[in-house]
Amino acid sequence: MLRYQPGDSLAHRLDPRTKLCFQLAFAAVAFAYTSPRGLLAVGTLGLLALAAADTNPLRVVWSYRFVMPFLLAAPAVAMLTLGPPWLVPAAAVDPALASVRNLLVIAVGGGYIRTTSVTDSRAAIQRTVPGRPGQFLGLGIELVARFLPVLRRDLLAMRDAEAARLGTDRPLGERMSTLAAVGLNRAFRRADRLSAAMQARCLSWNPTLPPLGFGWVDYPIVGLSLLLFGAAAAQVVGLAPSF
Amino acid sequence: MATSTESVDLVDGTTVRNLARAALFAALVAGFSYVSFPNPLAPSIPVTLQVLGVYLAGIMLGPLWGTASIGLYLAAGAVGIPVFAGGSAGLGVLLGSPTLGYLWSYPVGAGVVGLVVHRGTDLQDYTTVGVPLLVGAMVAGTVVIYAMGTVGFAVIQNVGLVEAFSLSAVAFVPFEAVKIAAVVGILRRDAIAAVE
Repeated sequence: MLRYQPGDSLAHRLDPRTKLCFQLAFAAVAFAYTSPRGLLAVGTLGLLALAAADTNPLRVVWSYRFVMPFLLAAPAVAMLTLGPPWLVPAAAVDPALASVRNLLVIAVGGGYIRTTSVTDSRAAIQRTVPGRPGQFLGLGIELVARFLPVLRRDLLAMRDAEAARLGTDRPLGERMSTLAAVGLNRAFRRADRLSAAMQARCLSWNPTLPPLGFGWVDYPIVGLSLLLFGAAAAQVVGLAPSF
Repeated sequence: MATSTESVDLVDGTTVRNLARAALFAALVAGFSYVSFPNPLAPSIPVTLQVLGVYLAGIMLGPLWGTASIGLYLAAGAVGIPVFAGGSAGLGVLLGSPTLGYLWSYPVGAGVVGLVVHRGTDLQDYTTVGVPLLVGAMVAGTVVIYAMGTVGFAVIQNVGLVEAFSLSAVAFVPFEAVKIAAVVGILRRDAIAAVE
């Protein structure tokens, strides 16, 4: 699984907002140029981005293996037709290109995860999304990051306890409702204790965030992102040469 | 550190409570994605409880905080907290995964379920809501989730709607009935302590 790891790669030094902007631009250009040559260029750019994040592309692909069945099945099913000739390989070309493009878009997101801490992401979101929604998202993201491991441990412990008492032989619906009910109770109890603690510590809408600032490394990447957005827009309005 | 000269703007008590519940609910939905049950219809893709969390968010937190909570779940995933299926995360999943339609439909689904159960945006006591309305609300939520999920799959994978539905939905739809029954069972238990 991909996680944040401290480091000194180029992507580690970038502002999180720059990295989010690049991901959006990369996705835009990948969607605009979904052709074999276009995807070759986009794929090369994606590999460069992962190299700048000091991230192994194979590890990224492995960590997203859950999407593979869908990416592989879509072209395979698109080939099938009801009736002769049963298989039409040409019909699989577009879905296959879409699968490659989607994998590239997903994989580039892995570089962000590997190089950005939750605190920096929170600061980036809170500074980008204006007003209370931004503050809600910022605070909420840190709370989710803090409580996910705890609640996950609760749920997995319950599942193990159930299995130890032959609960796995029970009907599926009953197992789901037992697990969810106990999980909900734990979550609500934690939420009530958390809200009392946050009020006791004077939770405010305007806490002091860690400093974020654009450095010299950010400007070329922002410029590249704008170029990519421009290239995608040119393709959409039909100004770009066929690629 | 960035310094701020404005005075501290305290969050009022009710909002703190709702905020804590929304955040914990988002974390619980994320936790549900780690607990999988075997799927006899598609062995490679197990059934997880995220959709059950979406229904419960709409019912227990209401349409506004429920939608906010599930929106928070997506935002947490976008910045890299491992909340999506299989412990994955990243903005790329929300932009390019074949399942992106399902993910984007979750906040909408929670809102629809909440609106039907609470008959508007004002919170009602959901323990007094009849089973037919609960089931109707969750069926409406399921329709929204599968409609957006199927269209999303068809668009992102460049396949037809029928192919998209057969690939991304058919193996899961029967389990939604089980999840709806499970939610009704949870709400009818006395085990849920935190009701207000």
